[in-house]
Amino acid sequence: MIYKVSYVVKGGNFPGGIKNETERPVIGQKVRIGPHTFEVIEILEIMPPRDDFQFLHVTVQPVEAAEQKAPS
Amino acid sequence: MATPSIMKHVELFRGLSDEQLAQVALLGQEEVYQTGDILCEQDAPGDNVFIIMRGQVEIRVRDRSGAQHSAVYLGAGQVIGEMALVDEGKRSATVIAAEDGTTVFSIPSDEFVRLCKTDTHIGYLLMRNIAQDLSFKLRHGNTNPSSD
Repeated sequence: MIYKVSYVVKGGNFPGGIKNETERPVIGQKVRIGPHTFEVIEILEIMPPRDDFQFLHVTVQPVEAAEQKAPS
Repeated sequence: MATPSIMKHVELFRGLSDEQLAQVALLGQEEVYQTGDILCEQDAPGDNVFIIMRGQVEIRVRDRSGAQHSAVYLGAGQVIGEMALVDEGKRSATVIAAEDGTTVFSIPSDEFVRLCKTDTHIGYLLMRNIAQDLSFKLRHGNTNPSSD
């Protein structure tokens, strides 16, 4: 299965990205979009799968924001 | 030349048989870019379709004031230049490599269109897949807070 993923950034002013992944993203995973690293916080299926392709909408947040929220 | 097995991971080619993929693979060539290299510039003629095989590119759009802003990053499997292919207009954005070794498969637009016209089954599949890709990109833009 190929996962075509729309990465949308929560907070900040970053445009996000679109790319194909060979493995389904999971909550907490780190992803690199352009020069920045983000953490996956939500995954939604936005269209029914077609053939070997699944279409996902993934919300991410900057890693710095995730680390600030984590308990010390 | 892109191999048909790699092309199967690209939605643009969804539904094409191995034989049809081999036909498409003959049309283009691989190009490798380093960070900051410009693949194409906004308002230039849209004479190539690019498929990202490896790495990432940044899509930058210049607004009416002349300021350029980042619209989206596209990674492996994504298509660039399909708008100019469909409407024969100029490039809608500037495309810049965002990673060293970003590799694209570049197909001359006129060759792409010629194949679609001579083999209408391939043409239907490619145009259907382009329409679905544009739909996906619109959905990304509609849900992206930074595009508000």
